Parts: sequence; structure tokens; C-alpha cells
Amino acid sequence: MTRRGLAVVGLAALVACGGGGTGYGVFSTNWNDDDGKSIDEVEKKLAGVPIPLGADVAVGVAGHGSRLVGAPLAGGSRWSFAHAIDARPVVAGGVVVGSGGNEVFAVDALTGKLLWHLPTGGLALHGAGDDGTVSVVTMSRAAGRGSTLLAVAHDGMVLRQIDPSVSLGAPAVVNRIAFVPWDNQYVSALDVTDGAEVGRLLLREKTSHAWTSGGALYFGELGLFRFDAKIKNASRGGADHVALPAKALPGHPVLFQPGDRAVAASSGAADKVRLYARPTAPTEVLAIADGRFYATYFRLLYGLTVSPRAALSWVHTHADAIVGGAAAAGGFIACDEAGKVTTFDAGTGATLGGVIDLGEPVESCVVSADGLRATGAPHDALPLVEQIRVALADRDLELGAGQALLLRELGELPDEAGTAVLLGLATDPHLAATVREDVRAALATRRSGAPAMIAALGKHYDFLHDVLVPPPVAPLARALLAMNIPSAAPALARHLFDPADTDEDVRDVALALATLAGPSEVPDLLRFFALYRDAPEAPEAIPQAVGAVAEAIVRLGGAPGRAAIDAAIRQPATNATVRAKLTALLEAASVQRAAPSIKPSSTSRE
Amino acid sequence: MRRAVWKLGGAAILAGVVASVSDARAAGEAKGGGVFPAASLAKLKSDDPAVVRAALDDARLAGVGASAAIPAIGALLKSGLSYPLAEAAIDTLAELEPRDNSPFVPYALHRVPKVRVAAIRALAKTPSGPGMATAASVLQAALRDPDVLVRGTAATGLGALKAIAAVPDLFLALDRHVYEAASSIGELCNPAECAMLTARIGSVPFDVITTGLEPMLFRPDAQVREDVKVAIVTKVRDVGTREANKFLANLQRRWSKTGSAAVKRALDAGVIATSSSPGGA
Repeated sequence: MTRRGLAVVGLAALVACGGGGTGYGVFSTNWNDDDGKSIDEVEKKLAGVPIPLGADVAVGVAGHGSRLVGAPLAGGSRWSFAHAIDARPVVAGGVVVGSGGNEVFAVDALTGKLLWHLPTGGLALHGAGDDGTVSVVTMSRAAGRGSTLLAVAHDGMVLRQIDPSVSLGAPAVVNRIAFVPWDNQYVSALDVTDGAEVGRLLLREKTSHAWTSGGALYFGELGLFRFDAKIKNASRGGADHVALPAKALPGHPVLFQPGDRAVAASSGAADKVRLYARPTAPTEVLAIADGRFYATYFRLLYGLTVSPRAALSWVHTHADAIVGGAAAAGGFIACDEAGKVTTFDAGTGATLGGVIDLGEPVESCVVSADGLRATGAPHDALPLVEQIRVALADRDLELGAGQALLLRELGELPDEAGTAVLLGLATDPHLAATVREDVRAALATRRSGAPAMIAALGKHYDFLHDVLVPPPVAPLARALLAMNIPSAAPALARHLFDPADTDEDVRDVALALATLAGPSEVPDLLRFFALYRDAPEAPEAIPQAVGAVAEAIVRLGGAPGRAAIDAAIRQPATNATVRAKLTALLEAASVQRAAPSIKPSSTSRE
Repeated sequence: MRRAVWKLGGAAILAGVVASVSDARAAGEAKGGGVFPAASLAKLKSDDPAVVRAALDDARLAGVGASAAIPAIGALLKSGLSYPLAEAAIDTLAELEPRDNSPFVPYALHRVPKVRVAAIRALAKTPSGPGMATAASVLQAALRDPDVLVRGTAATGLGALKAIAAVPDLFLALDRHVYEAASSIGELCNPAECAMLTARIGSVPFDVITTGLEPMLFRPDAQVREDVKVAIVTKVRDVGTREANKFLANLQRRWSKTGSAAVKRALDAGVIATSSSPGGA
């Protein structure tokens, strides 16, 4: 075996020469699907082998890429390791693998103690696995297609180097068998002792990551495949598989970035807008643990249900952007730009226990929470509506799209408190215009909270008392109409004559009154009709409003109402759109009067 | 009769506001009119907006002599008019000084700001009588309007209507840069309110505050005490600018010989004290 410290580029003697269980060269593209035979043999061989849990740790890149800082999550001292960092470090098993300064290196994840380092000639790390004795590292070549794989013992001995022309993903190692995804569809099982490819797996879904979690091995990128007795059926779609439910989330976050390329040492938008999930224990049916997955949007952290559909369960507004994290059993661990690590309860979003401090701001952060269970005294356990209110009150423009999601969710919540929150936001003079539009849209979809809506309609623009944002009249009118609340009619009718209301407000009020108005609104309806029946064509909302008011007059106004309609039809100045509407209304009323009454048929029940 | 009513607009029937032609004539005669020709009166009932507009022009030219047209124009307004005609009808009717200001009231909340301004201006001309309270109430409400011109017109109108109950709201308006409120406050304020206005010297632009101080100084001593007026002059003097000097000098020239001697002395002293003040042209 080669001693530590040898240049990676000079390890030709250890390059695998192929052979083994697949019968083809390592990473050969001439391989024919063996219907799972070879990978089934590997699975059977490893079935009784325990997979050690990985370290529970948060590791940040700090000092402008000059050091790693780490903190054990289950207690222990934080550590710092000075080394140039040129790619995102990887927590693999009990080690942290990093690259930079023309080296690849590994440190103990819980102490930061250097385990080994090797020259690379500048290759950038993009994946690593570790089984407790051997680390397997994949790296990108400086230019062109192809990757380098290294298998390194913890004592620094290089066990294997392979330089295939294909792009390798992020590997995992179990009992010295490396599982290496490549070409987005294969996972090759390599015996790092002799370099043989002992099995291969063909997956029908984009796959560039292999990792261990909770004592089991998984592959995936879009979804998760479990390495178990069913893995042999993968090419036929029969492997254990789970994916996150579809949900339109701000920034289109993904569970994994592609595993076949290096990720920058500093975090970017893709790190701040991410999905996180964890599979159930290997003894259980494969599913998403705790029934929750998590999404970040800069400073917002969403907890989402998995079934029966992806729905917002909770939201937390964080002080700083979340740049890394991990789903743990019972919760989520978030690492932020300030270098603070916080635990959240999976069910409520309450913060659990204390905050772990990496000691300084970080440029990026990776978190591993394999055996950790999220526990601790809960803080800030607020109802979802209140959590949303807090998130929406944040003035950070960067959160706009994330807040839009919350408004949509708020619109769908059945409890009346949601209406109250939306009403408060709608009249907040400091609210961004785009958010205000989202608030109005959400209010229009509400189907609860009618008393609060009617009370809100009772408020009007008042320059003297600095009420400079009128209530969201049009959305409230639409919601009250949809809920069929006749008691809203008096409040709605007063908005026919509020000059601070928009033309669209007035139109929607009139449309609501066409159905909701009662006899007590007739004088207001007639007054509005008289004032605006000859309104100009533009803005078109006003003639539309007059038409709707006329509908109510026909319904409620009796003979005097009919006379008003007749007179308007004859008046040359009457708006053409209004006249057409009036004519149609009278014709419809005439047809209704002329229709014979229908006697119950002899077979109908009395 | 039914057909004539239709020509005026159906809503008029409902409101029961359409006066008959004979009623109109009676009203005109009662006011000593009669120069407004019957033909023009008939034009007011035309279906053609251009003809109605011409009739309104006739009435405006005839002035108070067209008082016979008052009921007809009032009925036109109550039946509903298109935007430009509504404004013209309001202006015309206001010039005819009707006793009944109710035709203007709905237009104070019209969606077109120009129409609201016209209605508020018309209501501000309401003569003494039962309509004043309504007019003051409508104008006070108009101080809350979203349109700056409407608010300013209302603030001015409240002074004309002697709406003393509106002074607190006028202060709210003044503090929100409705500068027309200063003049009305000066005309209407009680001693405490006058002191509040005086206290705003320095915080409200000088050319604005003086529009309120001036009427205060010329109000009878029974309404604004002599010592209050002297205090106002002293406070303006203390401003010590060229504008303050010009204001005091202007008051000094116009001060009545029968007016308060103490105020006159204060003005004289103030003009001298500010004669070499800096600023301004």
C-alpha cells in the first residue's frame, strides 16, 4: 500500500484495473443491466453489517475560507482547524473532509483533530463517505469531464485511486465497500481493498448522492432510494423509494444540489433556499421521518407536512439567513450566517434547548444529525397564525417571495384569526405594495371571519386621523359575497360613496350588493344609480358597478325602482354599457314574470 | 307630468324631489326673478346634455334673476347628472343662491374630485338658516377627504359658514398641511383656540400662519381680547424677519383709528423693532 503524503497524481499503481462482480471495467459504460443480480449479492453480503451512526456536528467555513469551525451538537467543545478551504466540506461518518491549498484532508468531526491530508494538485472536493476506518473521496478535475476517487484509511494510507472519465457523485462507504453514484443513473459498489466493482445498480431517477443515515444506506438526488433487500429491483422501479410531495415553494428549493460537482466554499442562494428531509428508521416502512420536511428561504424556515399533502405546519422567522441544516429525529437543526446553531421541534417549530455557537460568523455551514434526537425545553411555541403574523411583519425585502407563500397559506387557514391577521396587514401603511396585493388576494379567498370583515368595512379613509390606507374593500366584498353574508350589506353600501375607494372597490361592492342588499339599502342604491348611470365608459368598473346596483334595484326597488330603470334606458346620456345591462335586466324580469308556474308532478312527494 | 318627470331622470321620482314647473315659477316670482325665459327653463328638461348645458349657461348669465330656475336645476342635480354637467349645474345653482342646499350634498362624496370641490364650494355659500348645520357637517367631513383640493376648499368653507364647532378638526387639518385651515381658525377661534394658533408661530410657515393671525387681530375685542392681540403682535415681532416686518407694517397701515390703542402701540413698536430684520426681499 502507498504511504501517506504521496502525490495523488502519482498513484498509478493503485488505479483499479476492473474485474470483479460486474464483469466489466470499473465505471464501464458497456455494462448491461444484470437485473439487480450483482447489487443483490452486495446487499446480502452487507445485510448483517452494522452501519455506524455519523457524528452529530455543525461545521462552518470561516475566516474568508481560511479555517473550519465545528461544534458537536450533543455536547462538547467547539473546535477550529486552520486550513485553506476551496470547496464545501463534507461531514462523512465521524470525519469532516475538506479541500483547499492543493490538499484534501480529513479531521475528526467532534474534535477537529487532523486525521490525514494528501496533495491533490488542486482538485476540488465534491463528495465523501466514511465507514469508520476508510474515507472515500470524490473530486472534480480542474478542467473537462471526469473525476478522481480516493480511498484513504484513517491513518492516511491511500488504499485506492481511480480516475474515471465519467462524473462521479458523492459516495458512501460501508464495510470498505464504496457506493459511488455516477452519470446520474448508476451506483457502482467498489471494493476499496482490491478496486473491483462488485456490484452495480441502475436507477430510474436522477441520482448523484449516496449517504448513510440512521444506520442505513441511501441513494438519490430528487428522491431517496434505500439500500435494502428490494434494491435489486431498482431498475424495474421496485426499490424502496420515497420523494417529497410537490409544493410550490419560493425560490424552487431542492433537497440536494447535484453531487457530481464541487460546491463553493461560501454559501450561495441555493444554500439559503433549500429542502431538508430525513428518512424513517431502516426498521420502518420507508417514508419521511416525523411526517415533516423543511424548507428554508433566507431567514424563513418552513415546517411542512408530508401527507395527505404538503401543507405549512409552522414557520419560524430567524434572525440571520439559514445557510445549512439537517433534519434530525424529531426536529430540524439550523445553522445560520452568524454561526449560531438552533434546534426546532418538528411538529410546532418551537426552538428546543439552547443555541450552539460556532464562535464566529460563517461563510457556509454543513450539519450532520444522524443519531441526534431533537430535544430540549421548547421556546416561542406560537400558533401558526401568530408565526405567520410575525413573519409577515418583517420588513426585509429579501423575504418577499417567502412571505407571499405565507399569505397564500394564511388564506387557506380555516380559523378566524387568519382573517384578523390579514386585515391588520392590509391596512398597514408600511407594507410593501407587492405584499399588499398578496394580502388582498388572500383575503378574497377567506371563508371565515365575517364579523371582522364587516368591522373592517366600517373603517374609512380619514386624512385627519391618519387613516391613510382604506380597508381592502374589494377583497372583503368578494369574500362576504362568497360567504353570502347579508348583514354585511349596510357596511358595503356605505363604500359606494367613499371617494377614497378605488373604482374596482366600488365595482366589487356593487357586485356583492346585487346579491346581499336588502330593502334598507334601496335608498343608497338609487342614489348611486342616479349619480353614475351616465358615467363615462372609462373606467369601466363604474358602469359595471351601476349595472350591478341596477340588478339589486330590480330585485328590491319595486315599482319606483322599475321606473328609475325605465327612465335611465330612455335617457340619451345613460352610459351605453349601463343601458345594455338595464335592458337585459328588464327582459329577464319580464320573462320571469311571464313564465307559467310549475305544478308539482303527480309523482312528486307532497 | 309623468313624461316630464322621466326627462329629468327616473331617480327623481323615487326621491320625490322633482318640483313641478309651476312650483319653479312660483319660486322665481317669489324671489323677484322673471328674467330667465321660459324657453330656457324648458331647455333644462331636455334629453340633450348640450341643450341642458346651454340652459345652465343662460341661468348663470342671468344671475339671481334666474331664480325661477332654482327648483329645476336642483331637481336635475337630484336626478343625477353626468360629470361635466353636474359640475356646471352645481356652480350655476350656487350662483343663484338657493335656500335649499340639499341638491349639493350627494355630490360632496362624488368620485370625481372636481365635482366634490364644486359641491363643497356651493355648500359653503349656504345662507343662514336650517341648511347651515348640514353644510357645516358635510364640510367638516370633507376635511378627511383623500383629495388635497377638496380638503382645502372645505377648510376655507368652514370659516365662511362660521362653523365654530369645526375648529378642533381645523387644527388637525392645519397640522397636516391643510394651510387653508389657518384663516378659518383665525376667524372662528375662541380664546384658548386662538392661543393655540398663536403658539404655532414658528412651526407653521409664516405666510400661512399670518392668514390666521390677521383675522384674529381684526376681530372685535369682545371676541379676541386686546391683551391677546398685543401678545400676537409681540410674538410676530419676536420672529424678527423681513417677512414679519412687512406683515406688521401692513397691519399698522390698515389699523383703524378707532381700534385698540394698545395694539397700535404694539404694532408701531414691532415695526420699528423689525425694520432692520434680515431675510427676504
